[in-house]
Amino acid sequence: MITLYGVHRSRALRNIWALEEMGLAYRLVPVIPAFRVPDPAAPGAPLNTRSPEFLKLNPAGSIPVLDDDGVVLSESLAINLWLSRRCGAPIGTNDLAESARFAQWTLYAATEIEPHSHAILMHRVQLPPDQRDEAKVAAAIAALRRPLAVLDAALAGDGHPVGGRFTVADIALAETLRYALPAPELFEAAPHVKAWLAACHARPAWKLITARREAEPAI
Amino acid sequence: MLTIYGVLRSRASRNVWLAHELGIPFRHVPVMQAYRLADPDAPDAPLHTRSAAFLRINPNGHIPSMEDDGLVLHESLAINLYLAKKHGGALAPANLAEDALMTMWSLWAATEAEPHTIQVLYHRVGYPPEQRDAAKADAAVAALRGPFAALDAALAESGFLVGGRFTVADLNVAEVIRYAQPAPELFDAAPHVKAWLAACHARPAFQRMMEERAKEPA
Repeated sequence: MITLYGVHRSRALRNIWALEEMGLAYRLVPVIPAFRVPDPAAPGAPLNTRSPEFLKLNPAGSIPVLDDDGVVLSESLAINLWLSRRCGAPIGTNDLAESARFAQWTLYAATEIEPHSHAILMHRVQLPPDQRDEAKVAAAIAALRRPLAVLDAALAGDGHPVGGRFTVADIALAETLRYALPAPELFEAAPHVKAWLAACHARPAWKLITARREAEPAI
Repeated sequence: MLTIYGVLRSRASRNVWLAHELGIPFRHVPVMQAYRLADPDAPDAPLHTRSAAFLRINPNGHIPSMEDDGLVLHESLAINLYLAKKHGGALAPANLAEDALMTMWSLWAATEAEPHTIQVLYHRVGYPPEQRDAAKADAAVAALRGPFAALDAALAESGFLVGGRFTVADLNVAEVIRYAQPAPELFDAAPHVKAWLAACHARPAFQRMMEERAKEPA
């Protein structure tokens, strides 16, 4: 039995996406980030990342966490690479070279894309207007120009980063790049990336989970 | 035949360390970081990360990269996970669950530790003194207290991260944690981390890589 701890409004979304694409049965335990709960330690507070019962599972107090019949994993992108090996093709793979390329693009998403795309999201959308810093957005956009050009060239061939089909490598890249959508100028300069992300977001599994995400309380 | 691109004074050190651990032959192409060259466009400049010949291998212009029987791979930690699995043995995952944990620790190192450990290195040692910012180093040390506590707890039981033995997970995490050594206060508060890193650095394959590294021009 697969249990995923987290909420749709968190990095757990990338795992929910992979699970839905793979058609795997799973139980979702809604653990909310503590910073979104007004008084996370209060009796009766919803299960959150500082709740003692969650900290027993992940002492770092971060979501998502996956428990797959006793294999307990944190790190959202590592969870998807595990699901890839567990499930195999087409969304995952059991081939050594292909799984290495999945890991390469996944680490690329984590190190070259997400720190910058997250800064764009924070400083153009999420922070209160008086805390936003457009200089940080400009630095993040500058840092993302080369990764987007590299990805654009990689997608120009068959439309996917690995294997000519939609895989967990697409999910890792799409979910980290989504945070950069408030900077449309980046995507205008990378037409293959723009078309590929639109195609990712047209997938039935994505539409299903984003509908559930919208229905989730935003506290 | 395996080819590793990148000088040892770079993240290529982790791939060369692993190759020595595995005892596999490889060709080493010492691609230099372009920013370390006074004039990377000079006709006699050594092969570097903005050279056209290298950009054909890795269009990101980053080292390391590797090529192994036609497979071109970037991202130092991904390269190590691949090489360990290809060659097997005690350093590699014994099963899918170990593979998952080794991947988890590698991503943990890349996302939770390295953005901060590299700042410790830059601002306490790497940059020329006038460019160092003590406040940035101190902020990075503060950000690392939680990750060091988590790593210390994980090492408390067996002294290793996965499977009770030295694996590619230890090597990948050790190479990221090495950058924090200019902050001894972190290690004093995490005795298992301190002992584990010393044991990793006592391994002959690490020492061989570091001896070769010391011979490279700084």
